[in-house]
Amino acid sequence: MAGSDLFAQALNGLSYGVLLFLLSVGLTLIFGMLDVVNLAHGSYYMLGAYAGLALIAATGNFWLALAVAPLAVGVVGIVVERTCLRPLYRRGPLDQVLLTFGLIYVFEDLVKWIWGGRIRSIPTPELLASSVNVWGAVIPSYRLFVIAFGLVMAIGLWLVIEKTRLGAIIRAGVYDSEMTAGMGINIHRVFTLVFAFGAALAGLSGVIAGPIQSAYPPMGASILIPALIVVVVGGLGSLKGSLAGSLLIGQAETFGKAWLPGASMLIIYVVMALVLLMRPQGLFGRALK
Amino acid sequence: MTGPVLARAAALIVLTAAVALFPLAAGTYPVKLLQEILIWGIFAMSLDLLMGFAGMVSFGHSAFFGIGAYTAALLLPKFPGLLAALVAPAVAAGLGALVIGFFSIRVSGVYFIMLTLAFSQMFYAVAFQNAFLGAEDGLVGIPRPAVLGMSIGSTGAFHAYLLVIAIVCALFLWRVVRSPFGHVLRGIHENEARMQAVGYPVNRYKLAAFVIAGMLAGVAGSLYTQFVGSISPSAFLWTTSGEALLMVIIGGTGTLFGGILGAGAFILLQSLVSSYTERWMLILGLTFVLLVLFAPGGIVGALRGRVGLRA
Amino acid sequence: MAQLTRRKFLGGASAIAAGAAAGPWVLRAHAQGAPIKIGLVLPYSGVYAVLGESITQAMELVFARENWTVAGRKIEMIKEDDEMQPPVGIRKTEKLIESDKVDILTGPVHSGILMGMRDKVHNSKTILIVSNAGADAISRERCSKWIFRTSFSNWQPNQPMGGWVAKNLTKDVFIMAPNYQAGKDQLGAFKETFVPAGGKLVGEDYPKLGETDYAPYLTKIRQSGAKAVYAFFSGTDAVNFVKQYDQFGLKQSIKLTGAGFLTEPDVLPAQGRSALGVITGHFYTPLLENPTNVAFVRDFRAKFGGKMPDGFACQGYDTAETIVRALKAVGGNTQDKEKLVAAIEATAFESPRGPFRFDPKTHNVIQPFIYIREVKEVAGGLNNVPFDKVADVRDPGTGCTLPS
Repeated sequence: MAGSDLFAQALNGLSYGVLLFLLSVGLTLIFGMLDVVNLAHGSYYMLGAYAGLALIAATGNFWLALAVAPLAVGVVGIVVERTCLRPLYRRGPLDQVLLTFGLIYVFEDLVKWIWGGRIRSIPTPELLASSVNVWGAVIPSYRLFVIAFGLVMAIGLWLVIEKTRLGAIIRAGVYDSEMTAGMGINIHRVFTLVFAFGAALAGLSGVIAGPIQSAYPPMGASILIPALIVVVVGGLGSLKGSLAGSLLIGQAETFGKAWLPGASMLIIYVVMALVLLMRPQGLFGRALK
Repeated sequence: MTGPVLARAAALIVLTAAVALFPLAAGTYPVKLLQEILIWGIFAMSLDLLMGFAGMVSFGHSAFFGIGAYTAALLLPKFPGLLAALVAPAVAAGLGALVIGFFSIRVSGVYFIMLTLAFSQMFYAVAFQNAFLGAEDGLVGIPRPAVLGMSIGSTGAFHAYLLVIAIVCALFLWRVVRSPFGHVLRGIHENEARMQAVGYPVNRYKLAAFVIAGMLAGVAGSLYTQFVGSISPSAFLWTTSGEALLMVIIGGTGTLFGGILGAGAFILLQSLVSSYTERWMLILGLTFVLLVLFAPGGIVGALRGRVGLRA
Repeated sequence: MAQLTRRKFLGGASAIAAGAAAGPWVLRAHAQGAPIKIGLVLPYSGVYAVLGESITQAMELVFARENWTVAGRKIEMIKEDDEMQPPVGIRKTEKLIESDKVDILTGPVHSGILMGMRDKVHNSKTILIVSNAGADAISRERCSKWIFRTSFSNWQPNQPMGGWVAKNLTKDVFIMAPNYQAGKDQLGAFKETFVPAGGKLVGEDYPKLGETDYAPYLTKIRQSGAKAVYAFFSGTDAVNFVKQYDQFGLKQSIKLTGAGFLTEPDVLPAQGRSALGVITGHFYTPLLENPTNVAFVRDFRAKFGGKMPDGFACQGYDTAETIVRALKAVGGNTQDKEKLVAAIEATAFESPRGPFRFDPKTHNVIQPFIYIREVKEVAGGLNNVPFDKVADVRDPGTGCTLPS
């Protein structure tokens, strides 16, 4: 029954795309708004997953972990921004590359030291442990939750950045930090806030992806490249680009895996190459400054 | 010649002599570490030409390393000579760089980084899944070439062969950087719009730099195959590019010879520290972090007493 | 590290003991009295570090039982972290062979590292006992008289499963493995006995190695009409696949089976209840009831804080046991390598997996049994409970010509 096959795969593509969005939106913020090369993005994802594991082990409550783990990661983000990154804003991308690379190693080894190297996983919350039939397509209820959560998050972020005073301050600070500082706003605090928020979002995605994927110390590397690709395909600094990019890649990867066996390693790179060759600044990227 | 220049030249000569004579003083394992440092040093220097001088940060440089390595691995068993060992890999890598560069140079900044990364990952996927290329285990049993009729199977002979090639590559890059071509590259790096306005075909210069860097990376890859006697798809991985990137930054971007020093620091840290402690990753990571915060010009920058040589 | 002080103490003790008993031996060839060096090239960092640890711990268990002494000589283990990367693994192999001059080399986990090591080991006539990597080639066209394997060849756990699944479960099977040579080899071995037993391949798919989202493949499985799935996955792939298989609700109608690595103790805790009911074939499970295994499990758990040994630990045990017995057989003489090789070849003993011996044709272990196991909840948590077995599984060794 070709129709329901197609729909089932499209639904899979949507859930994967939304998950990709959640995985990469933190990077979009930090990279796009602060212009900081944050290779340690995957590390915050990992820290979120492990914080989630610790909270679930202590309280048995997935939802609590979902709410609190990102806060913990946000705090780590604040510390990192104030101690390591602030001196580097003036110094250009290569120093940020080396520093954040070093942080990847540091975080990975610390996690391994504390939690050990074995593979772990966040168990699926009881409420969502079954699968449901949606118009002939079978999909785990947890993935439906991810889709809903991700879309709500996308709308929420857009509202905050475009419609609130805080969002306006952030946008102003990113666009012209000197002017904004001149207007009496503590620009350092804005940057720290944005960075911590981006880290927290990465940590949140670590908990959300937990029931579907595994947690292990080198896990950050597995999402760093996909997140970078989404950011680039969508266009640097664009929230809607990030959403569009992840949904596009989600569908491309899913149908690629279903129809083109053997090409699954390549799909995401080919998609990115094609997009960049047609639109060098990504789908919705602003012309580079 | 002025004092500092003489001093620097003397230091280089002493260093080169020390490297040349190292096999007489040390055991096989340290000598092999040094040889690996030289090979990765060539790779890093070629990347520095792109990054430090032309200002093009590439995360796909491993593509050319891999092309050179696999070309040598495929040809040497049948034609164990210098043509297969050095010329063919350089040419193949150069052609690869021409094609990849042609497409990649149309974008810039982080888009350039990601596009070059995508190309090298595509090579990785092909090498990983192709039986002719040895699939995920790669190719093994690669013989070393005969050089001028002599075998370089022994560690000492290979050391001499490698050192000569490393010196030639380093001198070549040094000349390129000081030539008019090199000056144009630096001009493009500093202000591309201005160079364009003055009438330079900027993209052609960038492509030329990309190809030269690619060819040298191919030579480094081929040397690696000859060094180990085998090659696996990990040569194409983005992490291989990343390691070269780190070596350049650690040594000091835009200093050329910093590439060899950075390669040395990285390989020694990676190999020696892990022999002594399980926490080598933490140590490596902290080293990078401290290096950035307190030695911004990399090793060369620190040696020169300068606060930073910006890329 | 605790081992250092223990080594120093035992070194002192055994030096005295060796001195007292040495007598005539002291006058023998130069290296006597010097420690026997065993090199280990294993991952001690990264996600496969747990395998490296298991193998190493079991080896330490055996050597400690012998008081770290064999034939009057001290045993010294030199561990090198290969980080699961071929360039590092090859570099460390060089170090162990040329710098440390090990008498016997063991490891690695990664088949790519093994293939990269092979020529170096063969040409330098270093004895290598492979304690994990399953690349079939090492027992076939790339075999060497200096190389032995105590773990398994990729072929071994899979080949008996084909016929077993066709006869005992169903003939409509969808097979899956990651898209790399080892994956294809494992499924190829399965097909060898599956198809002749009347099995029908309803589907065959190869997701990429390191895949995190199996949804498209699971949907295909559901749509294929298969009654069972046979899968080879290991590590994080095994965790992701089994969890998602369960989340998609496939376990109820389509039985999940696979090679043992799908549910080994390195992945079982993370899989949790998702793994219940999964049937796999492997040469070991800690629930085996033979006396050697009962003692092994008891001693291993006592020494390592209650940790349950797994197949990898069994591999380590057999590696160390082989080393100890062969060295005893040659009186600790590591200079005469031909004799040592012959002694290793002739080694036979009771292993936790059953009666252990090498196939002289390939130097690969002959699996006394491949046990068919099901994941169940037992005292102490989830485990692979054996309920059937296939005896005497030896690798065909096609293309291997060893001098006899």
